[in-house]
Amino acid sequence: MIESAWAQAAIQLILLALVSLLVPASYRVIVGPTLPDRLGAVDLITTLLIGIIVMLALVESTQTFVDMAIALAAFAFIGTISIARYISEGRVF
Amino acid sequence: MILDILGVAALVFGLFFCAVGVLGVVRLPDSLTRLHASGKVATLGLFGLLVGAALLMPSAWLRLLALGLFVLLTSPVATHAIAASVYRRREIVEELAETHSSAAAADATAVDVTGVLSRSRIQDIIEAQERALRHHKPKA
Repeated sequence: MIESAWAQAAIQLILLALVSLLVPASYRVIVGPTLPDRLGAVDLITTLLIGIIVMLALVESTQTFVDMAIALAAFAFIGTISIARYISEGRVF
Repeated sequence: MILDILGVAALVFGLFFCAVGVLGVVRLPDSLTRLHASGKVATLGLFGLLVGAALLMPSAWLRLLALGLFVLLTSPVATHAIAASVYRRREIVEELAETHSSAAAADATAVDVTGVLSRSRIQDIIEAQERALRHHKPKA
């Protein structure tokens, strides 16, 4: 789908850089002093994962990966909202 | 060719903002400032990546637009919920420190590190402390 070789190489380098960004984000999940810090870092990791899946769709030139990214975004939104409400209110609903 | 150049430029833009956001989440001193940094990743970083992907793979632009609109709608809501929980916990701990002994506030922060901090749980701590104080006769 993408003809030029340099664009393919650039996409793979950007994918590698995005994956390596997951390491400092998970540092904040492990160390983070309070519970909302960890929750925010998990939300950041899911955002990075959405970007990684979109880059994978570019590398494999498969549109179906974008649908997986949409599903991941939906589930991450529901999970983050419910855990945040559970932290602050003590109950989800 | 021109689409490839523009697309890779947009991808690099998005990657730059992702890196800046992760750096901010690791280095910034406070919960709310960290949330501010992670919000940049969700909007600018991810949008750069999506625009770059749409330029490089034009047949998938509708799905990428749907994903972008969904993230644009949901990410501020999620960040706001986390920030509200940060504010709420601080409010509870400050209230405890004002109205009760500092030992109760210390208990609350101990709960804060390990688990969930809620109004009912704070109430449990306060009641247990008052019960203990009632039953404990200090030797004058």
